Amino acid sequence: MSGSARRGGLPGASTAWTRFLEVMSGDKTSHIAIPLFSVALSMVAASLLLLALGENPLVAMAAFLRGSGFMVKPSYAGGQSALTDFLSFLGILAPMLLAALSVAAALRAGMFNIGVAGQMLAAGYVATILAGYADMAPALARPLVVLLGLSVGATMGAAVGFLKYRFNIHEVVSTIMFNYITSYVTGFLINTHYSDAITRSSRVCSRAARLTVTGIDVGGLRLTFPIGILIALAAAAIMKFVLDRTTVGFELKAVGLNRDAARYAGISVGRVTVFAMSVSGALAGLAGVTYYLGYYNNIMPKTLASLGFDAIAVALLGNLNPVGSIFSSILVTIFQKGSVYMSSTLGAPQEVASVITSVMLLFSACGACVRFHAARMLEKLAGRGGSDEGGGG
Amino acid sequence: MRQERVENDYIVEMRHITKRFGGVAANDDISIGIRRGEIFAVLGENGAGKSTLMSILFGKYEPDSGDILVRGRPAVLSSSNDAVSLNIGMVHQHFNLVPNYTVAENIILGSEPIKRVFGIFPCVDIKTAEARIAELSRAYGLEVDPSLPIAQAGVSVQQRVEILKMLCRNAEILIFDEPTAVLAPREIEFLLDIIRGLREKGHTIILITHKLEEIMRVADRCAVLRRGRLVGTLAVADTSPQELAELMVGRELPPAGKRPSAGFGDTVLEVQDLTVRDQDGLEVVKGVSFSVRRGEIFAIVGVSGSGQVEIADAIAGLARPQAGRIRLMGLDITDCGIRRRIEAGISYIPEDRQRYGVILDFTLAENLAIKSYYRPPLSKSGVLRPGRIREFADDLIERYDIRGADGAGMITRSMSGGNQQKAIIARELSRDSALIIFVQPTRGLDIGAIRSIHARIIEERDRGRAVLLVSLDLDEVMNLADTVGIVFSGRMVKISPANRLTADEVGEYMMGVRV
Amino acid sequence: MMDAIMTDGLSFAMPLLIMAIGGIYSERAGVVMLAIEGLQGFGAFVGAAAAVISGIYLGTESPLLIFIAMAAAMAGGAAFSSIHALLCVKFRAQQVISGMVVNTLAMALSPFLTSVINRAITGNESNKFQIGPSVRFTVPGLSEIPLVGGLFKSMYPFEIVIIAAALISCYVLYKTRYGLRLRACGENPHSLDAAGGDVNRTRTIAVLICGALSGLGGVFLAYSISATYSPNIYVGYGYLSIAAMIFGNWKIPPTACVCMFFGLARSAGYQLCLYLGMPGSYSDLLLTLPYALTLLLLVFFSKRNNPPRAMGETFDRSRR
Repeated sequence: MSGSARRGGLPGASTAWTRFLEVMSGDKTSHIAIPLFSVALSMVAASLLLLALGENPLVAMAAFLRGSGFMVKPSYAGGQSALTDFLSFLGILAPMLLAALSVAAALRAGMFNIGVAGQMLAAGYVATILAGYADMAPALARPLVVLLGLSVGATMGAAVGFLKYRFNIHEVVSTIMFNYITSYVTGFLINTHYSDAITRSSRVCSRAARLTVTGIDVGGLRLTFPIGILIALAAAAIMKFVLDRTTVGFELKAVGLNRDAARYAGISVGRVTVFAMSVSGALAGLAGVTYYLGYYNNIMPKTLASLGFDAIAVALLGNLNPVGSIFSSILVTIFQKGSVYMSSTLGAPQEVASVITSVMLLFSACGACVRFHAARMLEKLAGRGGSDEGGGG
Repeated sequence: MRQERVENDYIVEMRHITKRFGGVAANDDISIGIRRGEIFAVLGENGAGKSTLMSILFGKYEPDSGDILVRGRPAVLSSSNDAVSLNIGMVHQHFNLVPNYTVAENIILGSEPIKRVFGIFPCVDIKTAEARIAELSRAYGLEVDPSLPIAQAGVSVQQRVEILKMLCRNAEILIFDEPTAVLAPREIEFLLDIIRGLREKGHTIILITHKLEEIMRVADRCAVLRRGRLVGTLAVADTSPQELAELMVGRELPPAGKRPSAGFGDTVLEVQDLTVRDQDGLEVVKGVSFSVRRGEIFAIVGVSGSGQVEIADAIAGLARPQAGRIRLMGLDITDCGIRRRIEAGISYIPEDRQRYGVILDFTLAENLAIKSYYRPPLSKSGVLRPGRIREFADDLIERYDIRGADGAGMITRSMSGGNQQKAIIARELSRDSALIIFVQPTRGLDIGAIRSIHARIIEERDRGRAVLLVSLDLDEVMNLADTVGIVFSGRMVKISPANRLTADEVGEYMMGVRV
Repeated sequence: MMDAIMTDGLSFAMPLLIMAIGGIYSERAGVVMLAIEGLQGFGAFVGAAAAVISGIYLGTESPLLIFIAMAAAMAGGAAFSSIHALLCVKFRAQQVISGMVVNTLAMALSPFLTSVINRAITGNESNKFQIGPSVRFTVPGLSEIPLVGGLFKSMYPFEIVIIAAALISCYVLYKTRYGLRLRACGENPHSLDAAGGDVNRTRTIAVLICGALSGLGGVFLAYSISATYSPNIYVGYGYLSIAAMIFGNWKIPPTACVCMFFGLARSAGYQLCLYLGMPGSYSDLLLTLPYALTLLLLVFFSKRNNPPRAMGETFDRSRR
């Protein structure tokens, strides 16, 4: 390689290029370099889009950050500040991160959970009915909500895993069916029993059951802190440990990468399938309770949270890695949360945010291709170096 | 005299062909000329570059440098279509057939005859195609039933389909890539007859092989490749197998000595009336019984697809038997899971190493640990111990000479096939299992690797292990086995000490000629 | 009541069928197709936009609009599916992921472009297009048959187009040269490559056909369900058609039966509610019927499924 670099017309540029290719294709570096590269590309694309809409990209980006509480807005309504915006951002970041972890957990075991939204809804519904409408002390209600979210989600996930391994029903099909069934059944029950006459959603759940700590007094501001974000970060940490350092994590990855070889090695593929889907479902259930009992506090009947589908993009952008998911969910949530403020101040359509998110996903999906071509270019450079040496010898 | 006259009658000429893959020269300045109407053999070990050279002629790869002349004119071959339009056809080692299509559909794929229904709608004309195929197969002695689905056809029928495919495209020059690798001795006879018949009808044949015997029997001339270079082109009539072998390997081959077993011990594996069905519910193993003892190499031979792999899979637990019992050292393991069997003492080197043997995206260390990660010392109460896994891997890498730039931490995908196989063998042998199953352990490896694996197999036997060897390579079986079990269409038709059978007799049993 | 079940059932089954047939093209060629949801939505958007824009010149009552919408939807779906084709065939992306990328892109782009177009035309930022109701017609004679006559009453012109497309697809997939090659691509792409066929080209065309058919299904859904185009088009009928395709074992006739079953079960549920005089909210419960039944039936039939063998594999000539 050094040989070809020396022979190149521009030695500096050539080594930088080689170095870049090495980073993009290396076993150890590519999993960080490729997502960063795709994010950078998407930012360029987003800027072009904003320019086409007649907006200054820098101003628009600042507006996204202001809307999410990362930067201070020029003016605030009473009782509001960048801190309240930021806490609200954390409130919606929590279900996003949990849902992304849910998608990642399933995909690491080679399964595609499109049912995150349905699992969220089921968990949110059960927790709302059993804990949100009951008269309970917060110390009892909140753990109960978390527990219900976990168990309802895990049960639904396990059912998907079981149907796959026992009856060969593809998880994409069964999760779609479960999405519809959950949406219609909970919609029916809410409309017939728990509907609020004015909002047409379910009645608001009790304060005691919400996964938030209210009334924190900071410098005269009364703040609401979302407990969900702590749950989500803990879940990411636990998942990282399980995947990297435990035998079940080893089995899960083995099944995800090569089912046949995993079976040959004596790993019970059926058990791992059910386990991975239960974990995925449990994480989706947690996402559901933090979403429906913490951020919105009521349920819109017959509506699946689009967050459950956005999470697929977030998980892929985060390279199916728990730590990567933290960064990608922050990034995506900034655009989604900040879009309202951006739209109201600049007048550009709010949908720009989801366009930017999907463009990020588009570029990250090309990651394998970028890596492949980087490796091939590198090989070509090396090959040329080799043949030069061969010619000299 | 005749040679003088036809000297310039080269139908194909390859001049100074060089082709590199990632800096390694697969073909290094190779020049060969093939005469019209001859059988030209290309001989070399696995990895010598013979397949690459022929793939270049067939348009699959473009050479980095060098020229190709076909019928005296320079040819640019940038796809197999170019080759086909120059009437060059290739019968690949791995058949390229669609399993759920019929023989006729497979043959016409890519050059379908068209008729117009109602004068408007173009339809594939399968009737005409079937008639043409029947006619061609009669003319060349290639018997096939055009309406038979490929999935139901045997290996030799599939090969005939591949040959007919080329003839239907008017191929004048036919390249055969290791055509006898999957055939039984009698089928090899038929094939060699077919090849001679093709020459009679004016076709030019290029035969890629590493089997000297075939060359001696049918070829007119032979080019020998070694490590990407041409070491010589000889007229077969003027050479001997010994000379060819030395040219091919580059050193004198020590006689392949056979070491008989020192004696058999207790029975390790006992298989009784084993019946296995495949996915479609067809019985592929029918009431097979045999046993393997300590210090014994028991080889199962048979034509490809006779049920031998399914027997091995059933013993390892990968296939569920329909009936029968399997006992390992007296313990009935018929209903045990795969992991129980591994722990009870079964090691298994599978046929498809990239599908079963390793997880390509795991590191070498992870692949080496994949059968023992869940137990101390590699893990403790469910938590992996990366340090111990690393030590374990480093130890195996050193003991079994697994080579790769980054050692234990490297991704298995980036290792060579030979080293992947070494890793699998290291993992399986290090388990000290009572029974070791080898399925096609040397397929696709070069002669050095083959020899070292053969030595390992004998070493394990001498250490008192029971070895079950499944191989399509009759030479390998006759070289290693103490006992031979011959399967024919799912039945074990003969079990005998290896030294009481000749290779020819084994071949007859394999074809179901002898019972 | 029977008539209503038949009429409504057919009008729900047909868009599902055409999308599922699109899926069959793609997956039989070996490209996993989860993108139908996005393709139908984007196709519907292009179709509706074309109808609205040409409505300005032709008048909103013009009977031509629906045909313009159909043609535009097919073109739009095909154009959008080229992203999937490009990602899967050329860029070696994982096909499942690529499908979701296309879905996400479609769900983001179509409402965005809708509001941009609306702002340009009307000045307000609505994310809906009013496309007006479709013409409907009744086949004389056939509609008088007892029980199933409802199938031929107040039909949409789309239904004829879709039935024709289904028949043509049977012919294309099983009788023509392209069909033979397409199915070979899904079973063993190396066989086609060795025979001199172009695997990547065959697959690309299959994906584009899938896009066109999905777009047609999408614009039909926009017309039949609400006579408007809005982001509500993404309610998952694309996914439902994938389920129908898998249930139908990647073959057109069984898939058509599954789609009819979905359609009839759904409309029967509605009619049953009306008949029993149940409040509207109860119909939601009956709407779960097709999905629950699908799961139940799959429990019995899924084992026998045989998907195309090479589905999901990027074609790589050197791997063999």
